[in-house]
Amino acid sequence: MKNEIGKLYIELGEEFNFYAPIKEKGNLIFKRVLNPDDIVLDYLNSKVPPKEILFPKMEVLFEYKTDGKDVTEIIERTDLDEKNIIFGIRPCDAHSFVLLEDFFAFGDYQDEIFLKKRANTIVIGIGCNTPKSTCFCTSVEGHPFMKDDMDIFLVDLSEKYLVEGVSEKGKELMKRLKWLTDAKKQDIQKAEELSKQAEESFETKLDLKDIDKKLDPNFEHPIWAEISDICIGCGTCSFLCPTCTCFDVIDENDQYNNKGRRIRIWDTCQFCLYTLHTSGHNPRDSCIERCRNRILHKFCYYPENYNTLGCVGCGRCIQLCPVNNDLRAIIEKVNNIKKEKEEKISA
Amino acid sequence: MVIIMGIETENSEIENSMRETARSLLKEKKVDVIIGYTNGTVPLSSAPIMITKEEEVEKLIWNNLCYVNLAKYLVPRIPQLIDPEKGDLKVGIVSKGCVGRALIHLSVENQINLENIKMIGIPCNGIINRKRIEKEVGEKEILEVFAFGNDIVVKGKDFEQEFSFEEYINELCKVCKVKSPPVLEELAEICIGECQEISSIGDNFEDLVEFESKTTEEKWDYIKDTLETCTRCYACREACPMCYCNLCFVDQNKPIWFEKTTEISEIIAFHLVRAMHLAGRCVACGACSSVCPMGIDLNLITRKLEKIVKERFNFTSGIDSKKMPPMMDFSMDDAEEFMLEED
Amino acid sequence: MPNPYIPMLTTVKSIVSENKVNDIKTLELEFKKEEEYKNFNYIPGQFAEISLIGKGECPIGIASSPTEEGSIKFTIKKMGTVTTRFHNCEVGDAVGIRGPCGNGWPIEYMKGKNIVVIGGGFAFSTLRSLVVYLLDDKYRKDYKEITVIYGNRDSGEVLYQDVLEEWKKRDDINVILTIDREEEGWTERVGFVAPVVKEVAPSPNNAIAVVCGPPIMIKTTIVVLEELKFKDEQILNSLEMRMKCGIGKCGRCNIGNKYVCIDGPVFSLAELKKLPSEY
Repeated sequence: MKNEIGKLYIELGEEFNFYAPIKEKGNLIFKRVLNPDDIVLDYLNSKVPPKEILFPKMEVLFEYKTDGKDVTEIIERTDLDEKNIIFGIRPCDAHSFVLLEDFFAFGDYQDEIFLKKRANTIVIGIGCNTPKSTCFCTSVEGHPFMKDDMDIFLVDLSEKYLVEGVSEKGKELMKRLKWLTDAKKQDIQKAEELSKQAEESFETKLDLKDIDKKLDPNFEHPIWAEISDICIGCGTCSFLCPTCTCFDVIDENDQYNNKGRRIRIWDTCQFCLYTLHTSGHNPRDSCIERCRNRILHKFCYYPENYNTLGCVGCGRCIQLCPVNNDLRAIIEKVNNIKKEKEEKISA
Repeated sequence: MVIIMGIETENSEIENSMRETARSLLKEKKVDVIIGYTNGTVPLSSAPIMITKEEEVEKLIWNNLCYVNLAKYLVPRIPQLIDPEKGDLKVGIVSKGCVGRALIHLSVENQINLENIKMIGIPCNGIINRKRIEKEVGEKEILEVFAFGNDIVVKGKDFEQEFSFEEYINELCKVCKVKSPPVLEELAEICIGECQEISSIGDNFEDLVEFESKTTEEKWDYIKDTLETCTRCYACREACPMCYCNLCFVDQNKPIWFEKTTEISEIIAFHLVRAMHLAGRCVACGACSSVCPMGIDLNLITRKLEKIVKERFNFTSGIDSKKMPPMMDFSMDDAEEFMLEED
Repeated sequence: MPNPYIPMLTTVKSIVSENKVNDIKTLELEFKKEEEYKNFNYIPGQFAEISLIGKGECPIGIASSPTEEGSIKFTIKKMGTVTTRFHNCEVGDAVGIRGPCGNGWPIEYMKGKNIVVIGGGFAFSTLRSLVVYLLDDKYRKDYKEITVIYGNRDSGEVLYQDVLEEWKKRDDINVILTIDREEEGWTERVGFVAPVVKEVAPSPNNAIAVVCGPPIMIKTTIVVLEELKFKDEQILNSLEMRMKCGIGKCGRCNIGNKYVCIDGPVFSLAELKKLPSEY
């Protein structure tokens, strides 16, 4: 159906908000498609993860009206029931949606805003024929052809796509796409070959087995100062991470029009202000504690709370860190702590 | 397992002498720590490194991808470069021209004490515009980068692309007049290695002609268009050696000057007010643009400010350790006529 | 399931200035909708996210006890932007509220035990809630001896003077007040909280110590309690953290894998010792 992506959009674009990879100012991002010609199909992965669609940089929590002084009415969002299709997502990012859903549904409080949007979203993903050198999904229980987290899974067979309905939602939708033709045996065979090739092409392999148990006893350790010494404290690694969820809440009052809104915006544990108390006390006062928190959150706290790693192996933080503070090197350093200790014992 | 993917350079002579200097500084205990660059682990990158042992100097590199302004690591940020007993550490710092300028300007602003610093001067011939190359290569992964004659060659799985070095260095580097750190008469011993004497800089700002010929609306459109994709990760601010405020204006909440949203108006407010804070202070290193994950080019804006300050106050930041920057100084005959002008 | 970010609306019913410096005020809030108040089931030690909508929201411990029906109270110190705005508000103003949040004091676990309440300064608000609750006719019989040790810098800082007077009149509670330095007209104890606890020397037998106050007070008091042979499970503490959402989503109040807003703010010393010391 490769030439039929436009058709897909025309068929579904009315009913669904149709998101797909688009090039904007030189960056590949997932954006609502207005013209099917804009869709880019030949790409590695997006710069900003598609979490942006379900958890945008800036999002309204509610709006309100005032009588000039006091709030008179609170207006809830009505757009959460709109139906979305996210087309072209990679397996790692599709897996991030599962982690995000677990997180936003965790505990007694459900984040309705995220969860409703998520429930109304159909994920059409594509396997990665050519993983990047910085990709490491196979080290975090993922796979370049993992389809479990998608509704419909595509394999790029260069002249066409192999289309597979994974979830019930996906299968239902496929029934509507009458122009799809039955896959031939050799197509399925080719897809399997591509999957194998992709798996074998991984350059980055990280030893993340029991990483949480290695991190937990080493909360106080000199490596954290070592790891953070070149960190400049920006938010790149976390803003462009598909599993980071932290946000700040802001009120915007429009006093001239007797209305306003409360919004949330992305925030990150890498910013000094993130944990700063009004009193001036800051539990994570320097880059050392802040870098440590990011690593521990993904590789220790996440496994403790959810029994899975909080990282999907997309490699964006490795690619985009301004000072090339490479996650792979950090993990290696963490793994070496243990070895040092073992050596000491055996010596 | 980390793969080294830097750029192969023809700078071995510079590298060797830099390593020797670093080694002897450490050996003679003239410095406690050397801040320099090492190979990056992704293509078109390099990483800052801090070393304290002689045997580590082999890790130091110099090439046209050393885009971080290392002076950033000296402004008060984390207590790492202070020894609880010895106080301020003595620091050797690998300095291309703009690192030298940043250090001198920071000392003018009383942020660092130059007496604790040894600049290992490097003659820089320009930093590769990595974001521009990445954008032009597009949706293919660059796996290897090397210099070949006058070209930068990038290679990937099934492609190879050449970029002319002269054309694909940062716009700021193309007009740079301070390739290596300026020598200070009164503190000559601070700069070792390649340094240059500079008394004033002649600059005709030809690179701004095109921007200046735009109408106000067009300039506004340019600014909006350039900044639109900002995610407000503040990498630009954190990489800037002149952004050392304890609490940036945009983070202040008593009062809240600006909101931190990604509304285009708030994005513009942040970048333009930050740029104004850099008037007469920006050292034209281009680090802000080199580190931006979204590939936003901020240089034209800061360059324009550089020109205004030069024309009105005849001031260039970071070449003179005695002259006060115009925004920190008051003089009865300060130029004022521009205040209401549209520039 | 309702959207947890939507505040319920209340009106300011009364404002009481609690100290001489006038930087601590207690706001009494009345829900605009009766059924929202009925569903607002809280226990002492919980907090709520209260907001002047359009001007910001902040987490504040609930100072009233669920036994005090009709309204809820918050004691607010003027610290930052939002709390300053709360100080400027007037009776009749609209205030948004989300909650109750957090775990609160473990009132079930405390049943049948001697309760030693140790508070310092402004952090007494959720302790007020607890003591009022324990003294309520309905619940007093569930708990044994109650001792309150409450310290302040000077007499002008002592909160809730009216309830303290009531408590002092009762014979089923021992109230000990102290201030840091001698003052004319002060007839109670003088000295920091920790040495006073040492003097009073509450018995650890079948007891729970509830400690709330500034960090240095907590630190020194815990040392004294340990000397008195209180075990880690017998010492309870309420933590403060920067918070935004109050429901474990915005991320910033984590200590290790716990979020203070949902797993706390009340932790026993035993629990705290298992967490990284990042608070």
